[in-house]
This record gives sequence, structure tokens and C-alpha cells, in this order.
Amino acid sequence: MHNEVTVMDEHHHDNDATDVFGFWLYIMTDCILFGSLFATFLVLNYQGMLPSTLKSHINLRVVLLETFLLLASNFTYCLAMLDLYKQKIFRTQVWLGMTFLLGGSFVFIEVREFIQLAAEGFRWDLNGSASSFFTLVGTHGLHVSCGLLWILVMILQLPKLKGSHIANRRMTYLGLFWNFLDIVWIFVFTIVYLLGAM
Amino acid sequence: MTDHSLHQPDYGTGQKKLGIYLLGFVACSILTLLAFWVVMADTLTHGQIFAVIYGSACLQFVIQLVCFLRLNTLTPQGRTNVMSFVFTLVILVTIIAGSLWIMRNMNYNMMH
Repeated sequence: MHNEVTVMDEHHHDNDATDVFGFWLYIMTDCILFGSLFATFLVLNYQGMLPSTLKSHINLRVVLLETFLLLASNFTYCLAMLDLYKQKIFRTQVWLGMTFLLGGSFVFIEVREFIQLAAEGFRWDLNGSASSFFTLVGTHGLHVSCGLLWILVMILQLPKLKGSHIANRRMTYLGLFWNFLDIVWIFVFTIVYLLGAM
Repeated sequence: MTDHSLHQPDYGTGQKKLGIYLLGFVACSILTLLAFWVVMADTLTHGQIFAVIYGSACLQFVIQLVCFLRLNTLTPQGRTNVMSFVFTLVILVTIIAGSLWIMRNMNYNMMH
């Protein structure tokens, strides 16, 4: 009987490993999506086709704050993961809640920035450079928003999944996704904001 | 069941340890501050600023891959992850460098 349970467990792990690899492949295709958007942005902004008007609208302090919010949320997610492995479900939920608040602040600040840009006349339909800016940064923001929804669902699901291998698997998916978004943000703030402000 | 909690499946992502996360967090914070400070202070030449912010971004990229995503070649699944990642990098370089190259030539030929 004991043997059978171990075999079942091994079986789950093998399946889960394949599933996580599948999710990793999804992340890789998402990289290509962002790569295309970065290529578009670079072509339309830095090749002398149109004088970019983005520079005068960039507020680097706000971007720095956004960067740290996302970096901190990444770290709190890792802490949630550590507590999940120790089977401390409540503490996992608390860290996930922190991650949600940090990520939520990021999206809030970004949306406010977009509204302000539009009010100042830098609208998405102004020219190609503006369109590529809003598409690139907006796609990232949309991913973060989806991640936030996912975190909320996870917080609600965790007590039901307690101790099961499904909890580990789903948290691993979400962790990959959340880390990936922070990595994309490194390039967004470097290429869009820092280069744009120079 | 106790055995189960000791050996968590890591899906090729390596063991989770607080120290490595902390290291990644601190290193990324320092590099981010450095990059923003260089641009905001604006005391260096353009070439130097380029070098610093690109260097900072690439270093942060590697740190995040190693410390947070825990990419490694220690397990078969880790190696599979790295291989698919390298393949993605090849495609990314093709898309981005290729687009810039082609558009630069087009731009040059249209303007001159």
C-alpha cells in the first residue's frame, strides 16, 4: 500500500514536471511577443524617422518608484514560495497579499502616468513613436494586471489545495510568470525610459 | 508525508533558499539605482551613459535568471529549460537585430 502511494506520487511529479516545462515554453513565446514590440519601438524611436516627443514627458522618479515596486513584489513572491514549501499556508497568503499590493500600486501608477501623458497631448494616436510606446508599455501592464488577478485567485484557492502537489505546481507557474514580468520590465525601463530621457 | 515536504519537486529550478533571493534583490536594487543615477545626474558623456545602463540591464537580466528564475544545468529538466531559453534568445536576437539592421538600411537609402 505504501509502495503504491509512492508510485502515485512519483507519477504526479513526472506529470507536473512536464506541465511546468509546457508553461516555461509559453513564457518563451511571450518573450518573442515582447521582443517584437521592442524591435518596433526601437525602429520607430531611435532611427531618426520622427523626432520623438517622449523625452519631455518622462518623469524618471516615477519610473524608479515603479521599478522598485515590481522588484519588491518579485521578492515577496519568492518569500511566499518559501513558506509554501514549509506548508505554512497562512503566511504564504500574507506574502501573496503583499505581492498583490505592490503589483497593484505598480499598475495604479502606470495607469495614472498614461492618463497624464494623454492629458499633456502625448496620445497613442499621435504618431508611430507614441503608438509603439503605449503598445509596449501597455502590453506589459496588461500582463501585470492578469498576474494580479491570478494572485487573487491563488490566495482564495490555497486553503483548499493545502498540502497537495497541485498547490506547488500552480504556485510554480505563477512564480515563473511574475518573475518573467519583472525581467521584461528591466528592459522596458532601460530602453524606453532611461534611453528616452537621455 | 514528512518525507514529501523535505523533498519538494523543484521542476529543474533548483533549491529555494532565502539567501539567494536576498542576494538577487540587493544586487538588482544597487544596479537599478546606479542606472537611474547615471541618467539623472547626467555628468558622463553619452557613450559612457549608454555603457552603464546597458551593462546594468544585462547584469540584472543574468542575476534575475540565476537568482529568481533559478535557471541551471544541474538537472535534466534544468538543462531542457536552458536549451529552450537559448533557442528563444537566438530568435529574439534575429528579430530585434534583424529589424534594426533592415530598417537602418532602408532609412539610409530613402534619405540619401
